[in-house]
Amino acid sequence: MDLDLVWEAIPLIWKGASTTASLTAWALVLGTIGALILALMRLSSIKPFRWFAAGFGWLFRGIPLLILLFFAFFALPDLNIGIVDGILLEPFQAAVVALSIWTAAYQAEVIRSGIIAVDPGQAEASEALGMAKARYMRRIIIPQGVRIMIPPYTSNAMTLLKQTSLATLVTVPEMTLLTQRLFSNDFQFRERIAALALLYLAMTTVFVVIQQVTERTFRLKV
Amino acid sequence: MSDWDWPVVGRSWDLLMEGTKLTLQLFAVSLILATLLGLILALMRMSSISPLRFISAGYVWVFRGIPVFVTLLFAFFVARDLPGLSWLTPIQAGMLGLGVDAAAYKAEIIRAGLLSVDPGQHEASEALGMTKRHYMRRIIVPQSIRVIVPTYMSNSILLLKATSVAVGIGLVELTGITRQLSNSTFRPVELFTAAAVIYLVLTTLLVVPQEYLERRFALKT
Repeated sequence: MDLDLVWEAIPLIWKGASTTASLTAWALVLGTIGALILALMRLSSIKPFRWFAAGFGWLFRGIPLLILLFFAFFALPDLNIGIVDGILLEPFQAAVVALSIWTAAYQAEVIRSGIIAVDPGQAEASEALGMAKARYMRRIIIPQGVRIMIPPYTSNAMTLLKQTSLATLVTVPEMTLLTQRLFSNDFQFRERIAALALLYLAMTTVFVVIQQVTERTFRLKV
Repeated sequence: MSDWDWPVVGRSWDLLMEGTKLTLQLFAVSLILATLLGLILALMRMSSISPLRFISAGYVWVFRGIPVFVTLLFAFFVARDLPGLSWLTPIQAGMLGLGVDAAAYKAEIIRAGLLSVDPGQHEASEALGMTKRHYMRRIIVPQSIRVIVPTYMSNSILLLKATSVAVGIGLVELTGITRQLSNSTFRPVELFTAAAVIYLVLTTLLVVPQEYLERRFALKT
């Protein structure tokens, strides 16, 4: 292995890091909002809401992300139903749509199980104190659930970061695509892919550190 | 306007099934590879020899830290240059890449399961004069399986879905064949919907052995 070729590739691949990061950030923000809504629907007393959220989770956790991504990119422009007459998305937009739906489906489970894990006595006590459901969910239940959600939430977010590499297959110029362009010009597969792996490893290791810091911040102080 | 052409799925059915067959082959072989490698890594991690622990921890850190796509690129473009691997076909490279990646997760699942057994069980076995090898096999492993099965199975469903990434190294498994068919027939909506349904059926079917195994290994009280 020629280490010079590895070092030389790092700044070239790093140019795609901002795209990798913004894919992750967009999907994480949009997906988390979706996940929160789905989790609350799943815990709601209104049956159609519960069914919708359960169906959403079953569907989008049951098919590969890549099928979702190809559907968003190749099939949405051809989709004609009622008022919708084909949605043409840029590669980046298609990737954000697919990654957000994926994130929503997985993080909804994390949020839901975090909320369920809070002792039901807390909800009963809040009701006994005359708090409305909306109020005690916000002030009592969710703050306690967050502590339980952090580890699985962060590890899903790390998986999301790695999944952005699939956006290569719909021609989003993130790190993996830039690497493929490099090695298809000079055939230095080993060194270029090693450089890519190093960059991903650095990024995911940062995630692990963030996870440990947040876990410590939210730990019960007794 | 709505002009569906669902019969296109019927006309493409044989090819879709060819793709599904390759998806299942990729899944089965990489699952076996990942399980064996994961078991070895888990035992290395719990060994008293520190270089073994170090190698195992490093392996898990690296392969959990890089995307499976990157591991597949390595397996496809680089693995053949490694000594003794020149015979690797693209499909075998795909199986190797998927298996090597999944092994990191399997190792963690198996290790967590083994650690979950009450340390009193180790002590009691030793007090009864059993050797480590003997009581690991007869006492610890059987008890840990109950903890391992649910996470092992849900991780295996992730592996089934991850086989779709093999399209990135040119394999025509279910996702790959669907992309080709949609390019040649200009019917992406119908074909990707069909592929999604096939994947849903497969992942839903995997829940059946999960429930069976959970029942099989449940505590009888």
